[in-house]
Amino acid sequence: MSMKLKMSAKAIMAAAALAMLASTSAGAVTLKEIKHRGYIRIAVANEIPYGYMDPNGDAKGAGPDVARVIVKKLGLDPKDIQWVVTNFSSLIPGLQANRFDMTAAEMAIRPERCQKVLYSDPNTTYGEGLLVKKGNPDGIHAYTDFAKGDKKVAVMAGADQLQMMQKLGVPEGNIVTIASNSDAISTVSTGRADAYAATGLTASQLADKSNGKLQIVSDFKDPIIDGKETRSWGGFNFNKNSADLQKAFDKELDAFKKTDEWKKILQGYGFTPTDIAQSTAKTTKQLCSEK
Amino acid sequence: MHWVEFLKPLSEGAWVTIQLAVYSTILGAVMAFASGIGKLSPNWFIKGISVVYIEVFRGTSLLVQLFWLYFALPIAGDLIGVDLRLPPVVAGVLALGLNIGAYGAEVVRGAIQAVSRNQYEAARALNFTPRQALWRIALPQAIPEMMPSFCNLAVQNLKDTALASLISLSDLAFKAEQLRNYYQNSETIYTIILFMYFGMALVLTAIMRALEHSVSRWRRVRK
Repeated sequence: MSMKLKMSAKAIMAAAALAMLASTSAGAVTLKEIKHRGYIRIAVANEIPYGYMDPNGDAKGAGPDVARVIVKKLGLDPKDIQWVVTNFSSLIPGLQANRFDMTAAEMAIRPERCQKVLYSDPNTTYGEGLLVKKGNPDGIHAYTDFAKGDKKVAVMAGADQLQMMQKLGVPEGNIVTIASNSDAISTVSTGRADAYAATGLTASQLADKSNGKLQIVSDFKDPIIDGKETRSWGGFNFNKNSADLQKAFDKELDAFKKTDEWKKILQGYGFTPTDIAQSTAKTTKQLCSEK
Repeated sequence: MHWVEFLKPLSEGAWVTIQLAVYSTILGAVMAFASGIGKLSPNWFIKGISVVYIEVFRGTSLLVQLFWLYFALPIAGDLIGVDLRLPPVVAGVLALGLNIGAYGAEVVRGAIQAVSRNQYEAARALNFTPRQALWRIALPQAIPEMMPSFCNLAVQNLKDTALASLISLSDLAFKAEQLRNYYQNSETIYTIILFMYFGMALVLTAIMRALEHSVSRWRRVRK
């Protein structure tokens, strides 16, 4: 092996080691590059109603529908969007590895995520909910019900609800992690968990599709974490180095949020008037610096 | 939603699964022979590379290999200024093929070593070069011995393709996940894909049996 070869082998090893540590990456696209190459790759995480694929392969949901409008305003044809479906927990790694240019999953804006990826301004806002067996046989009303006793709650891998549970003092043994929303109905109806903690919208969508086996907790008490309500604000994500794309996107998004067309999209997916009014209550900057 | 309506999207996924399985099995077979024979090489460099390859790919989880090739390699590539953003299909075929090839390598090595020493001595006495002895004497006897294990590995590989659904490849498992998410009808969909995987495995077994039949022709001639 020549010296040169040895060196490059070492460089690759070092790069591999660094890759494990690196939280940002180079090589992210700019708006100009996207226009030049003629397509944009947007990821969804198969969560109804935030962002999902219908069986025909069309992206639907509050994220994709709004993204389509904004992409058009940025000067691209909505047909030039390449939709990528991935697991919720793969959204951030995928952005970092430039597997796609942005996400349309209405991922909640949280400080620890702001350190890894860029967020657009909030698009939607949503509260929490619980999916339980029909008739709520265990009498569950709040996330704190799992902090004591041996009732189990399911959460999706990578979702906010896990951190909420941890902050509310729910022991590890009472938390069941599932891979995606598609597992929620079978997890709760077969008793592997007594409830599924998700956003109110997701929970009610799942209840509708459970053939009457499940329902949402109607008198749900919003969890209070660190003295604050737990409403979440969801936005689009970009790679750390795609700041110009994010800024251009934000400009169009802010304008679009003032229109009735935007309200209609959100209403169509079940967002309440409160959700729509609250969308502008906080900025991404505020949400990213919250503790 | 009637179960028949699930069949069209699922068969689209099955086609991707078949392509993944075929390409990765071929890559796996090439890797198995290359590193299985390489491990027996008197050249320490070739031997070393074969041993490292086999141990690395056999000793790490296929799921982790897939994630690494898909998510970590591009970041590593950016750091050294090379675009290593493999398309999902390539990442999937590479991880599956390299993984199954590492298992196959030991099958190849075992079968070659099981060829009687007398055969090698006879080849030498007849003035065969080591290469001729390998190709004309050892491998024709060893390959039929490898076939039952290869059949196992090929079926195993077919089922491992389901892991590729995690790197956004729309294979059978991925399509099933998508339909489950939309219709929330897990029982029907999982039952259908259970039979689809089983059907594909049966076809694959039949192909491998035919291949086994073909590579052991010489045994029947002898009788």
